Amino acid sequence: MKKSAFLVVIALVLGAAAFAQSTSTKDMNALIAAAKAEGQLTVIALPHDWVNYGEMIQKFSDKYGIQVNELNPNGSSAEEIEAIKANKDNKGPQAPDVIDVGLKFGPEAVAAGLLSPYKVQTWNSIPNDVKDKEGYWYGDYYGALAFEVNTDIIKNVPKSWADLLKPEYKGKFALSGDPRISAQAYMTVIAASLANGGSLNNVGPGLQYFAKMNKSGNLVPLIAVTGTLASGETPITIEWDYNALANRDKLAGNPNIAVVVPSSGVVAGIYIQGISAYAPHPNAARLWEEFLYSDEGQLIWLKGYGHPIRFNDLAKRNAVPADLAAKLPPSSAYAKAVFPTLDQQGQLSKAIAEGWDKIVGANIQAK
Amino acid sequence: MSNRKTRHGTGVRKAFSWLWMIIGLVYFFLPLAATFLFSLKGKKGVLSFVAYQHVFADPKFLKTFGFSLEMSILTVIIGLALIVPTAIWIHLKLPKAKPVIEFFTLLPFVIPPIILAFGLIRIYSRPPFAIVSSPLLLVAGYVIIAFPYIYKSVDAGLRAMDLRGLTEAAQSLGAGWLTLLFQVILPNLRTALLSALFLTFAIVIGELTLAVLLAWPAFGPYMALMGRNLAYEPAALAILSFGMTWGAIGLIQAVSRGRPGQGSNLGGTH
Amino acid sequence: MTAHPERGVPATGPGAAPERPGVVQTPDDPGPRGAIAKRAPRKWPLAWLGLVPFLLFVFAFMLLPTFSIVTGSFEDGKGNFTMDNFVHLFRPDILDSYLITIKVSGATALLGGLLGFLIAYAITLGGLPKPFRSFMATFSGVASNFAGVPLAFAFISTLGRVGFVTVLLRTVFGIDLYGAGFNLYSFWGLSLTYTYFQIPLMVLIITPALDGMKKEWREAAENLGASPLQYWARVGIPVLLPSLLAALILLFGNAFGAYATAYALTGGLINLVPILIGAQIRGNVLHDSQLGYALAFGMVIVMTISILAYSWLQRLSSRWVK
Repeated sequence: MKKSAFLVVIALVLGAAAFAQSTSTKDMNALIAAAKAEGQLTVIALPHDWVNYGEMIQKFSDKYGIQVNELNPNGSSAEEIEAIKANKDNKGPQAPDVIDVGLKFGPEAVAAGLLSPYKVQTWNSIPNDVKDKEGYWYGDYYGALAFEVNTDIIKNVPKSWADLLKPEYKGKFALSGDPRISAQAYMTVIAASLANGGSLNNVGPGLQYFAKMNKSGNLVPLIAVTGTLASGETPITIEWDYNALANRDKLAGNPNIAVVVPSSGVVAGIYIQGISAYAPHPNAARLWEEFLYSDEGQLIWLKGYGHPIRFNDLAKRNAVPADLAAKLPPSSAYAKAVFPTLDQQGQLSKAIAEGWDKIVGANIQAK
Repeated sequence: MSNRKTRHGTGVRKAFSWLWMIIGLVYFFLPLAATFLFSLKGKKGVLSFVAYQHVFADPKFLKTFGFSLEMSILTVIIGLALIVPTAIWIHLKLPKAKPVIEFFTLLPFVIPPIILAFGLIRIYSRPPFAIVSSPLLLVAGYVIIAFPYIYKSVDAGLRAMDLRGLTEAAQSLGAGWLTLLFQVILPNLRTALLSALFLTFAIVIGELTLAVLLAWPAFGPYMALMGRNLAYEPAALAILSFGMTWGAIGLIQAVSRGRPGQGSNLGGTH
Repeated sequence: MTAHPERGVPATGPGAAPERPGVVQTPDDPGPRGAIAKRAPRKWPLAWLGLVPFLLFVFAFMLLPTFSIVTGSFEDGKGNFTMDNFVHLFRPDILDSYLITIKVSGATALLGGLLGFLIAYAITLGGLPKPFRSFMATFSGVASNFAGVPLAFAFISTLGRVGFVTVLLRTVFGIDLYGAGFNLYSFWGLSLTYTYFQIPLMVLIITPALDGMKKEWREAAENLGASPLQYWARVGIPVLLPSLLAALILLFGNAFGAYATAYALTGGLINLVPILIGAQIRGNVLHDSQLGYALAFGMVIVMTISILAYSWLQRLSSRWVK
């Protein structure tokens, strides 16, 4: 009983803030009932320490009594798409209901008919340029790329891209992914490019930058993970700020981690939500989206150091607790953040994938 | 004269063997030692087992290991039930088919597990064979992956025993097929069967792709999950899983040692 | 006179029903021969029935699923038939990728094969104490599957830039590995890592063959005055060669399909085919799964050739060791 009352309150508050509502309170109750009847929600590729999804899942499950089935936490965005495709006829637990993928996967998924549209109650407070007009996909959170440094080993923390090329960092830097495969990694190349005279139409300088880094020996051709960061094999890497900050907290001083947004070449990336067109539990999926985009959900993401997509709206209404806001990197760091658009990401990532081997990897061939 | 030569020859041979054994041991031991050392760094500045404590404190560790253990037992049973009779059949009745069967048992080396997983989902998610939610589908996939190892072991075991001779002797004494199988052939295959068992066990425990895509709480995905964002626990896990697999196989070595003509070599003597 | 599977065995002449063990053909006795001639055609297909459970399982859980996915290599993104994906296989960068994968597999097959052989020799004919044999056998069982991220990480912890051995060599012996040009994150570093599961596999496979080397041969050679080198060159290696080559091909296949270790160790900087496949199917950038399936198909072809060569060599070798 308490839960429905609480929801009514939220619905009314949001209704006052937004001009038009997508669903009425009665619909919301009906949705909750239908979702509960389904009893289960299948999510995919949501590590618990990625923007605090652990708490998100727990809170959702506790609130509505719906069991959350978690698939492939280490999965990439592409694997999420492949999972929908592979399980089209399958209503079993291997089929994901909702996905959280990189921006550029939205249109691709729509074209392949993999998503079903839905507009959450707070739809109008989501900025227009990060959602699909018809509601097939919608931005959920963003972050900026930041240096993640093991300060037990690196005493002089690099502050800029130029710093990373210095000889004192020889054999100390590694990417957190393969730029031909991972979004975090190719965005890193884009960021390096922007800091070195490139633009959102030209990633050449980024490739040149890494070629230089490779030649000077500063680049370790390894994918940096928490283990290698801690052991000192790759004491400097670049990750989304929310990941870096979560790592810092988790390692709890063993070793000490510094998270630094570079002074120039700051790239921000957005992830998007979508409901699978073949979802075995469509109502639970919709309820999940409602939860994510409620103030409560958005603040859970904020706790995980991610900027929820409705951040500006929340800030305007003073809905962000002060202590939470204090934990984030200073907003000045984000002032210079660049958000590559869909098309730009598509073209740039392709250029990176094709150029990486030739320009950067050229030295690391078999002898 | 020849005695001296033989003694000298044996001496040189032994030295040679010791040399390569030691090189091999150093090569195998060092990476394990390094992993172990790193796993002890869970607490800053001291060597401690806190990473291991974290691992054991996680209920998922034993749960996933138990699940994979169950799966490996099922895999062994089904795999052996499938391959042993087939191998015996080929040896006895149909030597011509050997290359064909061997080809099929080696093919799994070639098929990327991700493709096998997607294929299994695609075929078995529709009626009338909608078994995609049954763990048996996972087991079927594991059996396929383990084929090369099970077959090699059983085949080597069969080659080591005089199958024809034993069969004829038993049959001339009036034994039926079942008696022949269970009281003559299988006892002589013991070491081969057990080595197949432990190779399969090692494979299933660590298997990752099939378990992830078919959405089962297996040990492989658990290890991968731990490895994702923890520093010291993955090293502890690697050591633990190595040790547990070792213990299991060591057990079988102890049990099967001393059987006449079998030796203690996995795969049977030739 | 050969037995034709369709038309059965000729009623006359030697060579009737050659596969029946324990049956003696006597040309002068028409009775059994007549009976055999009648029975053989019916028995032959019946024998194949015994393989049905196995073949059915293989079809249901290996061939059918694989086929259903690999046909994707004949489609484009929208499901239309195309051979484009296979044409792409001949792109220089993809051909390079197959080449380097074959190189890595070949190198680790040889390296693992050689070292595995020497260790297998040590525990069988080499005169080491008995416990070593069971120890090595156990270890081989475990280590042959110790691959992927744990193995990569173990080698990083050992021979990485701040690896335990690297640091030890530098602080105690004053040897700077990386300064001298060594690099774990290279072709040879990767090969060194792969060898960790190649050697045990070699040990497991070649030991039965070594057990089959009769002591009498060695003694006979020595009595005739042959030195150990001559023995190995003239008797030992030739006898073992088919088994050795066959084992090498198996090791080759084992390395050819390896993915997780390479990805964890070199972060995709060395362009192996399994990593390319991963990039296409799970990657967030290129994501052309049809091309991925075509790449996998190409791998199947390469491996099938290796397996056929292996089967042929295996048949040769079994003639020697009886």
